[in-house]
Amino acid sequence: MRPWFWRRKAREAELDEEVRAHLDMAAQTAIERGAAQKEAERAARREFGNMGLMKEVTRDVWGWRWLEDVVEDVLYGLRMLRKNPGFAATAILTLALGIGANTAIFSVVDAILLRPLPYREPDRLVRIWESSPKRDVVRNSVNPRNFLDWHDHADSFESMAAIASLMTNLSIHGQPIAVPGMLVTPEFFSVLRVQPLLGRTFNAADGIPGHDHGVILSYELWQSQFGADPGIVGEKTDVNGGPGDVIGVMPKGFSFPGIKAEVWTPLALTAPEWREGGRFLTAVARLKAGITLEQARQDMLRVANFTAQARPEGNKDWSASVFPMLEDTTEGVRRPLWVLLAAVGFLLLIACANVANLLLMRGAGRVREIAVRSALGAARSRIIQQLLVESVLFSLAGMILGLPLAHAGLGSLLALLPQGAPLPRSEPISIDEPVLVLTFLASLFTAIVFGLVPAMRLSRVDLQKALKQGGLRGGAGGHQTLRRSFVVAEVSLALVLSVGAGLMLRSFARLVSVDPGFSREHLLTMHIWTSPARYHDDLARSQYFARILAEIRHSPGVHAAGSTHILPLTNSTSGSCFWPADQPAPTPAEAPSAQFLIISAGYFQAMGIPILSGRDFEDHDTFHSSPAAIVNHAFVSRFFPGQDILGKRLRVCWTIETPVEIVGIVADARQADLRGAPEPTIFLSNSQAPMYFATLVVRAVGDPRQIANSVQAAVHRADPDQAVSDIRTMETVFSDSVASPRFQSILLLAFAGLALALSLTGVYGVVSYSVSERTNEMGIRVALGALSADVVRLVLREALALGAIALAVGLAGSLALTRVLKTLLFEITPTDPITLAAACSVILGVSVLAAVLPARRASRIDPMVALRYE
Amino acid sequence: MPEKKERYQNRIELLQGTLDLLILQTLQWGPQHGYGISVAIRNRSGEILQVDTGSLYPALHRLEKQRWIKAEWKVSENKQRAKYYRLTAAGKKQLSRELSKWSQLSDAMAGVLNPDET
Repeated sequence: MRPWFWRRKAREAELDEEVRAHLDMAAQTAIERGAAQKEAERAARREFGNMGLMKEVTRDVWGWRWLEDVVEDVLYGLRMLRKNPGFAATAILTLALGIGANTAIFSVVDAILLRPLPYREPDRLVRIWESSPKRDVVRNSVNPRNFLDWHDHADSFESMAAIASLMTNLSIHGQPIAVPGMLVTPEFFSVLRVQPLLGRTFNAADGIPGHDHGVILSYELWQSQFGADPGIVGEKTDVNGGPGDVIGVMPKGFSFPGIKAEVWTPLALTAPEWREGGRFLTAVARLKAGITLEQARQDMLRVANFTAQARPEGNKDWSASVFPMLEDTTEGVRRPLWVLLAAVGFLLLIACANVANLLLMRGAGRVREIAVRSALGAARSRIIQQLLVESVLFSLAGMILGLPLAHAGLGSLLALLPQGAPLPRSEPISIDEPVLVLTFLASLFTAIVFGLVPAMRLSRVDLQKALKQGGLRGGAGGHQTLRRSFVVAEVSLALVLSVGAGLMLRSFARLVSVDPGFSREHLLTMHIWTSPARYHDDLARSQYFARILAEIRHSPGVHAAGSTHILPLTNSTSGSCFWPADQPAPTPAEAPSAQFLIISAGYFQAMGIPILSGRDFEDHDTFHSSPAAIVNHAFVSRFFPGQDILGKRLRVCWTIETPVEIVGIVADARQADLRGAPEPTIFLSNSQAPMYFATLVVRAVGDPRQIANSVQAAVHRADPDQAVSDIRTMETVFSDSVASPRFQSILLLAFAGLALALSLTGVYGVVSYSVSERTNEMGIRVALGALSADVVRLVLREALALGAIALAVGLAGSLALTRVLKTLLFEITPTDPITLAAACSVILGVSVLAAVLPARRASRIDPMVALRYE
Repeated sequence: MPEKKERYQNRIELLQGTLDLLILQTLQWGPQHGYGISVAIRNRSGEILQVDTGSLYPALHRLEKQRWIKAEWKVSENKQRAKYYRLTAAGKKQLSRELSKWSQLSDAMAGVLNPDET
């Protein structure tokens, strides 16, 4: 650039000299004909014509002209910024807010929705689910036998793997730890095409029952628990009480979206224990090269149809669905994230409108400057270019300032997310190159959005008026209409954002005020998972859990304790079928289904769920006594309305083969989440249908966190090797369960707040400008006897008029746009009148607030001063 | 002001082809500087063709860029340092091309404007 620039300078000087020579020679000729020196020079110059223009056109011939102009404009623009630091700071800060917020949100959207999954050829990865159009189910976990059918008979896939996620007990140097783990069929790693860091991944032999002892560790677990021992491969470690061989370590950061895992163990699906059982597997597959998604779907329909015909008892009306893995992974977060991105985009538009107005306002003071440039021969396009270059400077300065803001914003954004809950994607979210590139492009776009209209308008100066002495504001009056339109636009957008934020906030308030049916105070929860090897015997296992609970109940500070196999508000459910024992058995597909929860005696007491009639499970409900069941109120009203069902016997599709007797009815409580109405539920006793895992719920007398250690100690008194994980208070479980709507509400609220603040300054700018323009008029009014109240009313009326137009536009916009929020809202419709009314009053309030200062200024106008002004 | 610019551009367009030809033709008699070229054209045309400097210099620089003429600084007969342009070999070829194009054009124009003569 430099040599070019220097060469350019030399040519510039040369052209000057060439012109000078021309003029001298022309003057010389005139003098020779007898003209006076001065006269001759002037004539030569006149004859020469517009010298500046001629030089410009000549320079055009040289090429590179535009670049040179841009350099010139940039230098000029920087000078202008230095001359108006207040104006520059306001504009840059406004833009920095808009750009920073957009960068932060976009980095989240990019990391979660847009970036390809971190595996080789990720486009060929799909997830396969069982689906049942009849039951309105699109994505259902997969039955093991069905998976084997798919695996063996589908033609479209290069490889296919099944996953079950389970807490895994590892014994490391005699120390038990429970870590999240994945049971995977051997093809899992070849589906994802990942190579281990150390050792090997599973091969087909690892999936043969009896040979399934291989253990693969995550990099993080290897680092933290095994001291990054390079000789780890080949070591023995106890896994779930059985023997295990460490065969490999995965590379750093390897993970499967949505499922946390520190350890991978083989899932030997052909083992007899997996023959039956419900639907609980996650299936992932890699499409063969060249196979389209549609072909794979057709193929899976065919295979699933085959399964449904071969084994109709469990598969009638079941089919299979295939989704691209990325789409599937981001299923639940796509809409909320796009909504947030749109909201923050609105914020940027509002910032643009504000800066455009600032430019117009300052432009009014620059009319003279522009007129002079124009009179000296600058083309309009040249002036527009210069003004746009200034806009770009603003925008880039805004970006530079906005990036640290984005960085800080992203930090606090991620801090809003619950600790334990896995994001759909586990790759780090950061402001990296693709985000930076987009931010840069967005900044340029922004500059054009806010810069073009003012530039077009300002470059159209009326020379006569502008250059006339005293006509300082010449041509500026017309800009006020434009500025009002910008303000109306930004206030309308702010209204849309406020309505959106209001809806989310009200929906969130509704959600957290839902009565879950249990009392969440004083409750401590923790997860335990027993080793099948150690407690393989059902009786031993049922007694083991009872012993743990007994130890806990005897600990200090414990009021009550119980267990459930699925903790409420953790988004998990378990269901199965049942039928009255006095009726013939229907096929499993036709039998009514209910939610099944396996709990201990004392669970209801610990949770604070009232027993409506009958009794709780008791100590005499043992593994060998006749099985009992408790149902909830929803179960009674759905299946046996108005009947007395205590003593009624049911057959259940569960591990209990004999009929169970209903011994109690409890009140309804929310299970999977707060949104869903309580489902008909059958509770079975963990003593009679023992599970391998349970979540303990312990009601403390005081602060539940205080008893965490003593409860763990109690567990270890029952078995010193029992690992305990996920120790959380029920308050935390509750708050984590609403983390996502809280996240959305807080962000939308923040955006709406910023939007309102920007609108406030926007309205203030327009109104106060119009007050200063009308000083004269107001002076006359006061002189003619208007009271200051009248003047104030005049100013307020302008602000309110702006607000009212914005209300109309914004309300129409809100009604059109907030529909996309529908699926995100709980018990609130997008047209919720209270929200709309509240948002409207906020907007009007802001408009009035913005007018307060200008109105005060107007009311203090001294007619003498005002009239002397012009 | 915008109107003035318009007019200026129109004139450039009018003279575009012919001005180049006139310059090349003028330089056929030897190196000359910008002022000299404009005086020569004015004189040879019997004061009819006024060469606008706003067109002349851009045209000179354009022709130089095409390598049809070459510039060098010399001292004039009045001891004035001036930039002299001279025709290059490529410029001579270009001149003959332009000349034959021009005579074709003027024949054609004449044919259209005075149909009786033929």
